[in-house]
Amino acid sequence: MLRIILAIIKKEAVQVLRDPMMLRIIIMMPLIQLFVMGYAVNFEVKNIRLAVYDLDNSADSRQLQSSFIGNGLFTIRQAESKILDIHRGFRENIHDAAIIIKNGFARDIASGKAGRIGFVVDGANAFSASVAIGYASRVVYRFNQQRMGLDIPLSIREKRLYNPESKTVNFMVPGIAAVLLTMIAMMLTSMAIVRERERGTLEQLMVTPLPVSALIIGKVTTFALLGFLELSIFLLIGFNWFRIPFVGSWWLLYLLSFVYLFTPLGIGMLISTLARTQQQAMFFAWFFSVFAMLTGGFFTPISNMPKVVQYITLLNPLRYFLTIIRGISMKGATATMLIPETLALIAFGTAMLALSYLKFSKRAD
Amino acid sequence: MIIAVLMPIMMTLIYGYAINLDMKNIELGIIDLDNTSHSRDFGESFYVSGYFLKPSRTVSPAKADEFLREGEVDAVLTIKPGFAKALTNAEKYELGLLIDGSDGNQAVAASNYAEMILVQYALRNDPAAAQRGVNMSVQVAYNQDLKSSHHFVPGLVAVILMMISALLTSVTIAREKETGTLEQLLTSPVAPREIIVGKILPYIGLAFFDGLLVLLFALIVFAIPFNGSGLLLLFFGFIYVVTALSIGVLISTLVSTMQLAMMASLLVTLLPSVILSGYIFDVRNMPYVLQLLSRLVPARYFIVIIRGIMLKGSDLTVLWVEAAALIAICLTLLILAIKRFRLKLM
Repeated sequence: MLRIILAIIKKEAVQVLRDPMMLRIIIMMPLIQLFVMGYAVNFEVKNIRLAVYDLDNSADSRQLQSSFIGNGLFTIRQAESKILDIHRGFRENIHDAAIIIKNGFARDIASGKAGRIGFVVDGANAFSASVAIGYASRVVYRFNQQRMGLDIPLSIREKRLYNPESKTVNFMVPGIAAVLLTMIAMMLTSMAIVRERERGTLEQLMVTPLPVSALIIGKVTTFALLGFLELSIFLLIGFNWFRIPFVGSWWLLYLLSFVYLFTPLGIGMLISTLARTQQQAMFFAWFFSVFAMLTGGFFTPISNMPKVVQYITLLNPLRYFLTIIRGISMKGATATMLIPETLALIAFGTAMLALSYLKFSKRAD
Repeated sequence: MIIAVLMPIMMTLIYGYAINLDMKNIELGIIDLDNTSHSRDFGESFYVSGYFLKPSRTVSPAKADEFLREGEVDAVLTIKPGFAKALTNAEKYELGLLIDGSDGNQAVAASNYAEMILVQYALRNDPAAAQRGVNMSVQVAYNQDLKSSHHFVPGLVAVILMMISALLTSVTIAREKETGTLEQLLTSPVAPREIIVGKILPYIGLAFFDGLLVLLFALIVFAIPFNGSGLLLLFFGFIYVVTALSIGVLISTLVSTMQLAMMASLLVTLLPSVILSGYIFDVRNMPYVLQLLSRLVPARYFIVIIRGIMLKGSDLTVLWVEAAALIAICLTLLILAIKRFRLKLM
C-alpha cells in the first residue's frame, strides 16, 4: 500500500513539475500576492486634502489652520474662491474635505463665546470620510486645549499590544499565507483530478488494480506537500522582507496548518466531482477562495458584518484558520487558547474528506 | 451561464455586506476598580455609543492579557480607583486602555473612539466649558450616513465587467486554440475580422447584462442614489468593456492553453482591478512604484467615473481627465490586440 501511494505521489509530482508554466505560476502567484498586497493594502488614511475657506483671516483663524497641518494627516490647499466651489472640488477630486472659518471667529472666542467653524467632507468614500471627521475633531479639541485653556483633567494612557505601530502589513501577511494555502491546495487538487478525467487517464487508473483510497491518498499527499512548501517559502520571505516579528511557535503553526489542510484538499476533491472541465474547476476553486476570504475576516473584522452574515461565517473554515495563524504569529497564542478553532477545523476536515470520499467512490463505480 | 448570472449577484451581496470598514462592535472589556455611580455611568457610555460591545464574559485584571490574546475582547479599559473623586474635584486622572493592535485599522479606530467618548463625557460634566472654545459643525456631502456600500458597490461594476469580459474571452479563444477549432474556423471562408467580432459581440452583451444587474442591485437592495447621467455611464461602460475585451484577446494570443489563459487573466485583470485601482485601498497611500503602475489599470479610471456619476452627479466637465485616459488605454489595447491576433493568424 505504502509503495503504491509513494508511486502515485511520484507520478503527481512529476506531472506538476514537468509543466513549466504551471510551475512558474506556483512560484509567481505567492510572490505577486505578497508584494502587491503587502504594499498596496493599507487602511491608513493620510494626506487628506483639505481646502481652507478662511473668512475671518485673523491671527486666531490662522493658528487654527496651522494646527491642522504638522501631523501628516491633512495637507492644506488654500482656496481663495467662493464657498460654492466646495462641491465642485469634491466632484473634480481636488480636495477631500473643507473647513470654513466663519467671519467673526476671532471676536467670538475672545469674548468667551463659541467660535464657529464648519467642516464639510466628501462622503463618497465612507471610511476615509469618517476617519477625517475623527482627525478634525481631535485637532479642534487640541486647539481648544492650547488656545482656550480648556483642559479636561481626564486622560487615557493607551497601550497597543502585538502590533504597536498598527501596521496593516503585519496583519495582512499571515492572512495572505492562509488564503494562499487554501487556494493552492484546492486548485491543484481539483484541477489535477479533472484533467485526468478530461483526458481519460482517470478511467485508465480506475481499471488498474489500484485501490481508490490509495489513489486519493497519493494525490492528496502530493498537493498537501506542495501546499506546505508554498506556505514555508511564503512565510519565510514575507516575515523577513517586511520585518514582521513572529512571536509564537512555528511547531504549533505547522501542526494546525496540517489539521487545516484537510479541508481545502477535501473541498478540492468535491469540486472535482462537480466540475466537468478544468476551467470550471478553477472557477469554482477561485470563487470559493474569494468568498472565504471576504467573509472570513481577511480584510475587515467579522464583528462589523450584519448579524446574518456573521452566522454564515461560522461555516467558513478559513475564518478559524485566520484566527489561528494570526493568533500564533502576532500574539503568540498557545494551543490551549486555540482549542475551539482547532476543534472546528477537525470537524470540517473530517466532514469534507468523508464527503469527498463518498462522492468520489460513487463516481468511480 | 449560471456563472455569468449568479456570480455578479453573489459578489454584489458579499462585497456590499461583508466589506464594511466603519469599525463598530469593538469588543471592550471594562475593569471598573472605582465602582462608583460615576465610573459605571462612564463605562456605560462606551457601550451606548454604538462603537463598543460588551463581551460575553467579564474581564478580571489578572485575565486581561489572556482575553486579548485569545481574541475574546479587542480592548480592555481599566478605571482605577479615584475616578469619581477626580471628576468632582477636577483633578488629574489617567485611565488605562489596552488594545489588541493586531488589526491596525481596528486599533486606531478604538483609540479614536475612546478619546472622543472621554471628551464628550467630560464636557457633559462641565457644561460651562462646552459653551466656550471652538465649536465644529460637521457636514457630509453625498453619503450622509457614511455607508461603505455606497463606496464599494459601484466600484464592483468595474471589477465584474473586467472579469467577465477579459476572463471569458481569453478562455474561450484559448480553448478553441487548444482544441484546434480555431484553425478550422480560419480555413473556412469567414474573414478573421468577422471571427473576432463574432466572438466578442456576445461577451459585450453578457458584460452589459451583468453590469446592469449589479447596478439594479445597487439601486434596489443597497439604495444607492444615481445622481448623474445614465447615458454617460453607458458610454463609458462601453469603452471600458472594449478595453477589457482587448485585454482578453491579447492574453489569448500570448498563452497556449485555457488553464494558462485563466491564470493570466486573474493575475493581469482581477488583482490590479481590485487592489491597485483605488477600489478598496487609496492609491495615494501606496508606494510610488505602485502608484505609477496603477495608472495603467483601466479600472482605476472607470471606478472614478462610475462613482462620480452615481454618487456625485459628475459630468464630463469634471471627468474629462479620466475619460481621456480611459479612451487612450482602450485604443492602445484594441490596436495591439488586433495586430497580435492578425500576426498569430499568419
